[in-house]
Amino acid sequence: MLGKLIKDKAVRESIASASVVGLNLVSATFVGLLIGWWLDRWLGTSPWLLLTFLILGIAAGFKNMVLEVRKIQKADAEEHQEHGQDDAKP
Amino acid sequence: MAGGLPHPVLLVDEAAKGVGLYKLNEVFHAQVIDSNVIYAWFAMVLLIILGMLATRKLAMVPSGLQNFFEVVVGGLESFVVENIGEKGRKVFPFLCALFLFIITGNLIGLVPGLDSPTNNVNTNAAMALTVFAYYNFWGIRMWGAGYIKHFMGPFWWLVPLMLPIEIISHLARPLSLTLRLFGNVRGEEIVLVLLFALAPVVGTFPMYFLFSLADCIQAFVFFMLAMIYLKGSLEHAH
Repeated sequence: MLGKLIKDKAVRESIASASVVGLNLVSATFVGLLIGWWLDRWLGTSPWLLLTFLILGIAAGFKNMVLEVRKIQKADAEEHQEHGQDDAKP
Repeated sequence: MAGGLPHPVLLVDEAAKGVGLYKLNEVFHAQVIDSNVIYAWFAMVLLIILGMLATRKLAMVPSGLQNFFEVVVGGLESFVVENIGEKGRKVFPFLCALFLFIITGNLIGLVPGLDSPTNNVNTNAAMALTVFAYYNFWGIRMWGAGYIKHFMGPFWWLVPLMLPIEIISHLARPLSLTLRLFGNVRGEEIVLVLLFALAPVVGTFPMYFLFSLADCIQAFVFFMLAMIYLKGSLEHAH
Protein backbone atom coordinates (compact mmCIF):
# COMPACT_ATOMS: atom_id res chain seq x y z
CA MET A 1 0.00 0.00 0.00
CA LEU A 2 2.68 2.47 1.06
CA GLY A 3 4.96 1.51 -1.81
CA LYS A 4 2.10 1.88 -4.27
CA LEU A 5 1.41 5.30 -2.79
CA ILE A 6 4.97 6.43 -3.46
CA LYS A 7 5.28 4.94 -6.94
CA ASP A 8 1.88 5.42 -8.51
CA LYS A 9 1.08 9.02 -9.42
CA ALA A 10 -2.59 8.27 -10.14
CA VAL A 11 -3.11 6.77 -6.67
CA ARG A 12 -1.54 9.83 -5.06
CA GLU A 13 -3.71 12.22 -7.05
CA SER A 14 -6.92 10.33 -6.33
CA ILE A 15 -6.10 10.31 -2.60
CA ALA A 16 -5.45 14.03 -2.80
CA SER A 17 -8.77 14.73 -4.50
CA ALA A 18 -10.69 12.34 -2.25
CA SER A 19 -9.38 14.06 0.89
CA VAL A 20 -10.83 17.31 -0.43
CA VAL A 21 -14.44 16.15 -0.65
CA GLY A 22 -15.47 15.90 3.00
CA LEU A 23 -14.07 19.16 4.31
CA ASN A 24 -15.50 21.19 1.42
CA LEU A 25 -19.02 20.17 2.43
CA VAL A 26 -18.48 21.21 6.05
CA SER A 27 -16.67 24.47 5.35
CA ALA A 28 -19.27 25.69 2.84
CA THR A 29 -22.01 25.01 5.40
CA PHE A 30 -20.11 26.96 8.04
CA VAL A 31 -19.43 29.90 5.75
CA GLY A 32 -23.14 30.05 4.86
CA LEU A 33 -24.05 29.96 8.54
CA LEU A 34 -21.56 32.70 9.40
CA ILE A 35 -22.72 34.99 6.59
CA GLY A 36 -26.34 34.50 7.65
CA TRP A 37 -25.58 35.15 11.31
CA TRP A 38 -23.61 38.27 10.50
CA LEU A 39 -26.29 39.64 8.14
CA ASP A 40 -28.98 38.92 10.75
CA ARG A 41 -27.08 40.83 13.40
CA TRP A 42 -26.49 43.71 10.98
CA LEU A 43 -30.03 43.98 9.60
CA GLY A 44 -31.93 42.71 12.64
CA THR A 45 -33.95 40.15 10.72
CA SER A 46 -33.27 37.21 13.00
CA PRO A 47 -33.64 34.32 12.24
CA TRP A 48 -34.67 34.40 8.55
CA LEU A 49 -31.40 35.30 6.82
CA LEU A 50 -29.54 32.81 8.99
CA LEU A 51 -31.81 29.99 7.88
CA THR A 52 -31.70 31.08 4.21
CA PHE A 53 -27.95 31.28 4.12
CA LEU A 54 -27.53 28.05 6.05
CA ILE A 55 -29.59 26.26 3.39
CA LEU A 56 -27.65 28.04 0.63
CA GLY A 57 -24.39 26.97 2.32
CA ILE A 58 -25.52 23.35 2.49
CA ALA A 59 -26.52 23.55 -1.18
CA ALA A 60 -23.11 25.00 -2.06
CA GLY A 61 -21.37 22.23 -0.12
CA PHE A 62 -23.35 19.54 -1.90
CA LYS A 63 -22.71 21.18 -5.27
CA ASN A 64 -18.97 21.19 -4.57
CA MET A 65 -19.08 17.57 -3.46
CA VAL A 66 -21.00 16.40 -6.52
CA LEU A 67 -18.61 18.22 -8.88
CA GLU A 68 -15.58 16.79 -7.06
CA VAL A 69 -16.87 13.21 -7.11
CA ARG A 70 -17.82 13.54 -10.77
CA LYS A 71 -14.25 14.61 -11.53
CA ILE A 72 -12.83 11.61 -9.65
CA GLN A 73 -15.19 9.27 -11.49
CA LYS A 74 -14.17 10.75 -14.83
CA ALA A 75 -10.48 10.29 -14.03
CA ASP A 76 -11.20 6.70 -12.94
CA ALA A 77 -13.06 5.92 -16.16
CA GLU A 78 -10.20 7.34 -18.25
CA GLU A 79 -7.68 5.27 -16.34
CA HIS A 80 -9.72 2.10 -16.84
CA GLN A 81 -9.97 2.82 -20.55
CA GLU A 82 -6.20 3.25 -20.82
CA HIS A 83 -5.58 0.00 -18.95
CA GLY A 84 -8.10 -1.77 -21.17
CA GLN A 85 -6.23 -0.61 -24.25
CA ASP A 86 -2.94 -1.72 -22.74
CA ASP A 87 -4.37 -5.19 -22.17
CA ALA A 88 -5.69 -5.36 -25.73
CA LYS A 89 -2.27 -4.98 -27.34
CA PRO A 90 0.43 -6.79 -25.44
CA MET B 1 4.54 23.30 21.96
CA ALA B 2 3.20 20.50 19.87
CA GLY B 3 -0.53 20.21 20.25
CA GLY B 4 -0.52 22.04 23.56
CA LEU B 5 1.64 19.32 25.08
CA PRO B 6 5.01 20.09 26.59
CA HIS B 7 7.82 19.74 24.11
CA PRO B 8 11.24 18.76 25.47
CA VAL B 9 13.57 21.24 23.76
CA LEU B 10 12.92 23.49 20.79
CA LEU B 11 16.26 24.52 19.35
CA VAL B 12 15.20 27.48 17.24
CA ASP B 13 13.05 28.87 20.06
CA GLU B 14 16.04 28.69 22.38
CA ALA B 15 18.25 30.38 19.79
CA ALA B 16 15.66 33.13 19.28
CA LYS B 17 15.48 33.64 23.04
CA GLY B 18 19.26 33.92 23.03
CA VAL B 19 19.27 36.83 20.58
CA GLY B 20 16.34 38.53 22.35
CA LEU B 21 13.64 37.95 19.74
CA TYR B 22 11.55 35.84 22.04
CA LYS B 23 11.25 37.78 25.28
CA LEU B 24 7.86 38.36 26.86
CA ASN B 25 6.08 41.57 26.07
CA GLU B 26 5.65 43.50 29.33
CA VAL B 27 2.29 45.05 28.42
CA PHE B 28 0.42 42.06 27.00
CA HIS B 29 2.33 39.28 28.75
CA ALA B 30 2.66 37.51 25.44
CA GLN B 31 5.56 36.60 23.24
CA VAL B 32 6.87 39.37 21.01
CA ILE B 33 7.13 37.00 18.07
CA ASP B 34 5.17 33.78 18.03
CA SER B 35 7.08 30.56 17.55
CA ASN B 36 5.20 29.71 14.34
CA VAL B 37 6.56 32.93 12.81
CA ILE B 38 10.06 32.08 13.98
CA TYR B 39 9.79 28.63 12.39
CA ALA B 40 8.37 30.13 9.19
CA TRP B 41 11.50 32.32 9.07
CA PHE B 42 13.59 29.25 9.73
CA ALA B 43 11.98 27.42 6.79
CA MET B 44 12.55 30.49 4.62
CA VAL B 45 16.23 30.70 5.60
CA LEU B 46 16.62 26.98 4.91
CA LEU B 47 15.06 27.34 1.45
CA ILE B 48 17.12 30.44 0.61
CA ILE B 49 20.36 28.72 1.62
CA LEU B 50 19.46 25.58 -0.36
CA GLY B 51 18.55 27.70 -3.38
CA MET B 52 21.81 29.63 -3.18
CA LEU B 53 23.82 26.41 -2.87
CA ALA B 54 21.95 24.88 -5.81
CA THR B 55 22.46 27.85 -8.15
CA ARG B 56 26.02 28.74 -7.15
CA LYS B 57 27.68 26.54 -9.76
CA LEU B 58 25.18 26.13 -12.57
CA ALA B 59 26.21 23.49 -15.09
CA MET B 60 24.69 22.24 -18.32
CA VAL B 61 24.86 18.72 -16.98
CA PRO B 62 23.40 19.12 -13.48
CA SER B 63 24.64 17.18 -10.51
CA GLY B 64 23.92 17.04 -6.81
CA LEU B 65 21.65 19.73 -5.43
CA GLN B 66 21.07 21.39 -8.79
CA ASN B 67 19.90 18.08 -10.20
CA PHE B 68 17.51 17.58 -7.29
CA PHE B 69 15.96 21.01 -7.66
CA GLU B 70 15.68 20.64 -11.42
CA VAL B 71 13.77 17.40 -10.98
CA VAL B 72 11.42 18.86 -8.36
CA VAL B 73 10.76 22.21 -10.06
CA GLY B 74 10.64 20.67 -13.55
CA GLY B 75 8.20 17.99 -12.43
CA LEU B 76 5.93 20.56 -10.80
CA GLU B 77 6.08 22.82 -13.83
CA SER B 78 5.12 20.05 -16.24
CA PHE B 79 2.27 19.09 -13.89
CA VAL B 80 0.98 22.69 -13.82
CA VAL B 81 1.29 23.15 -17.59
CA GLU B 82 -0.42 19.80 -18.19
CA ASN B 83 -3.39 20.95 -16.08
CA ILE B 84 -3.74 24.67 -16.77
CA GLY B 85 -2.11 24.94 -20.19
CA GLU B 86 0.51 27.43 -21.34
CA LYS B 87 -1.04 30.18 -19.19
CA GLY B 88 0.09 28.15 -16.21
CA ARG B 89 3.69 29.23 -16.72
CA LYS B 90 2.75 32.74 -15.54
CA VAL B 91 1.40 31.55 -12.20
CA PHE B 92 3.88 28.71 -11.73
CA PRO B 93 6.41 30.66 -9.57
CA PHE B 94 3.72 31.34 -6.97
CA LEU B 95 2.54 27.73 -6.88
CA CYS B 96 6.08 26.34 -6.72
CA ALA B 97 7.06 28.67 -3.87
CA LEU B 98 3.91 27.63 -2.01
CA PHE B 99 4.67 23.93 -2.43
CA LEU B 100 8.32 24.21 -1.42
CA PHE B 101 7.51 26.33 1.64
CA ILE B 102 4.73 24.02 2.85
CA ILE B 103 6.71 20.83 2.33
CA THR B 104 9.72 22.31 4.14
CA GLY B 105 7.51 23.60 6.93
CA ASN B 106 5.78 20.22 7.31
CA LEU B 107 8.95 18.17 7.24
CA ILE B 108 11.02 20.23 9.69
CA GLY B 109 8.35 19.40 12.26
CA LEU B 110 9.58 15.80 12.16
CA VAL B 111 13.15 16.78 13.05
CA PRO B 112 13.68 16.46 16.81
CA GLY B 113 14.08 19.89 18.37
CA LEU B 114 12.24 21.68 15.59
CA ASP B 115 8.57 22.51 15.13
CA SER B 116 6.32 22.99 12.08
CA PRO B 117 5.24 26.51 11.19
CA THR B 118 2.21 24.89 9.52
CA ASN B 119 0.86 23.39 12.77
CA ASN B 120 -0.57 26.81 13.58
CA VAL B 121 -3.83 28.13 12.15
CA ASN B 122 -2.31 31.58 11.58
CA THR B 123 0.37 30.47 9.10
CA ASN B 124 -2.10 28.36 7.15
CA ALA B 125 -4.79 31.05 7.13
CA ALA B 126 -2.23 33.55 5.81
CA MET B 127 -1.31 31.20 2.96
CA ALA B 128 -4.92 30.29 2.17
CA LEU B 129 -5.98 33.95 2.08
CA THR B 130 -3.03 34.71 -0.18
CA VAL B 131 -4.20 31.98 -2.55
CA PHE B 132 -7.74 33.38 -2.42
CA ALA B 133 -6.60 36.94 -3.18
CA TYR B 134 -4.21 35.74 -5.88
CA TYR B 135 -6.67 33.70 -7.92
CA ASN B 136 -9.30 36.41 -7.73
CA PHE B 137 -6.67 38.95 -8.80
CA TRP B 138 -5.87 36.81 -11.84
CA GLY B 139 -9.56 36.37 -12.62
CA ILE B 140 -10.17 40.12 -12.58
CA ARG B 141 -6.98 40.76 -14.53
CA MET B 142 -7.92 38.23 -17.21
CA TRP B 143 -11.64 38.96 -17.57
CA GLY B 144 -12.19 42.42 -16.06
CA ALA B 145 -15.81 42.95 -15.08
CA GLY B 146 -16.73 39.78 -16.97
CA TYR B 147 -15.18 37.81 -14.12
CA ILE B 148 -18.60 37.89 -12.47
CA LYS B 149 -19.77 35.40 -15.11
CA HIS B 150 -17.69 32.82 -13.23
CA PHE B 151 -20.16 33.15 -10.36
CA MET B 152 -23.37 33.00 -12.35
CA GLY B 153 -23.83 29.36 -13.23
CA PRO B 154 -24.92 27.87 -16.54
CA PHE B 155 -28.39 29.44 -17.10
CA TRP B 156 -29.51 33.05 -16.79
CA TRP B 157 -32.68 32.13 -14.87
CA LEU B 158 -30.62 30.40 -12.21
CA VAL B 159 -28.54 33.51 -11.45
CA PRO B 160 -30.40 34.61 -8.27
CA LEU B 161 -29.87 31.14 -6.84
CA MET B 162 -26.37 30.45 -8.17
CA LEU B 163 -24.78 33.79 -7.26
CA PRO B 164 -25.01 33.35 -3.46
CA ILE B 165 -24.17 29.64 -3.74
CA GLU B 166 -21.06 30.36 -5.79
CA ILE B 167 -19.98 33.20 -3.49
CA ILE B 168 -20.37 30.94 -0.45
CA SER B 169 -18.44 28.12 -2.08
CA HIS B 170 -15.65 30.52 -3.07
CA LEU B 171 -15.46 31.90 0.47
CA ALA B 172 -15.39 28.35 1.83
CA ARG B 173 -12.19 27.61 -0.10
CA PRO B 174 -9.71 29.45 2.15
CA LEU B 175 -11.43 27.99 5.22
CA SER B 176 -11.13 24.41 4.04
CA LEU B 177 -7.54 24.95 2.84
CA THR B 178 -6.58 26.30 6.26
CA LEU B 179 -8.31 23.63 8.29
CA ARG B 180 -7.08 20.70 6.20
CA LEU B 181 -3.41 21.58 6.47
CA PHE B 182 -3.68 22.64 10.12
CA GLY B 183 -5.60 19.55 11.17
CA ASN B 184 -3.26 17.13 9.48
CA VAL B 185 0.01 18.63 10.67
CA ARG B 186 -1.16 19.37 14.21
CA GLY B 187 -2.74 15.93 14.47
CA GLU B 188 0.50 14.29 13.45
CA GLU B 189 2.42 16.17 16.10
CA ILE B 190 -0.06 15.25 18.83
CA VAL B 191 0.14 11.58 17.82
CA LEU B 192 3.94 11.72 17.83
CA VAL B 193 4.10 13.33 21.27
CA LEU B 194 1.61 10.85 22.74
CA LEU B 195 3.37 7.85 21.23
CA PHE B 196 6.68 9.17 22.48
CA ALA B 197 5.23 9.32 25.96
CA LEU B 198 4.00 5.73 25.66
CA ALA B 199 7.04 4.08 24.10
CA PRO B 200 9.98 6.38 23.34
CA VAL B 201 11.64 5.85 19.92
CA VAL B 202 10.19 2.35 19.41
CA GLY B 203 6.68 3.73 19.15
CA THR B 204 7.49 6.85 17.16
CA PHE B 205 10.01 5.50 14.67
CA PRO B 206 7.57 3.63 12.37
CA MET B 207 5.21 6.60 12.44
CA TYR B 208 7.92 8.80 10.95
CA PHE B 209 7.62 7.02 7.59
CA LEU B 210 3.85 7.38 7.53
CA PHE B 211 3.96 11.00 8.63
CA SER B 212 6.69 12.08 6.23
CA LEU B 213 4.53 10.64 3.45
CA ALA B 214 1.40 12.34 4.82
CA ASP B 215 3.30 15.65 5.05
CA CYS B 216 4.27 15.41 1.39
CA ILE B 217 0.69 14.56 0.42
CA GLN B 218 -0.69 17.51 2.38
CA ALA B 219 1.77 19.90 0.73
CA PHE B 220 0.78 18.42 -2.63
CA VAL B 221 -2.94 18.79 -1.85
CA PHE B 222 -2.54 22.46 -0.95
CA PHE B 223 -0.52 23.04 -4.13
CA MET B 224 -3.00 21.10 -6.28
CA LEU B 225 -6.03 22.94 -4.90
CA ALA B 226 -4.37 26.32 -5.42
CA MET B 227 -3.68 25.20 -8.98
CA ILE B 228 -7.30 24.11 -9.55
CA TYR B 229 -8.60 27.42 -8.21
CA LEU B 230 -6.22 29.36 -10.46
CA LYS B 231 -7.30 27.21 -13.38
CA GLY B 232 -10.93 28.04 -12.65
CA SER B 233 -10.26 31.77 -12.70
CA LEU B 234 -7.95 31.66 -15.73
CA GLU B 235 -10.20 29.68 -18.05
CA HIS B 236 -13.39 30.95 -19.62
CA ALA B 237 -16.61 30.74 -17.63
CA HIS B 238 -18.95 28.11 -18.99
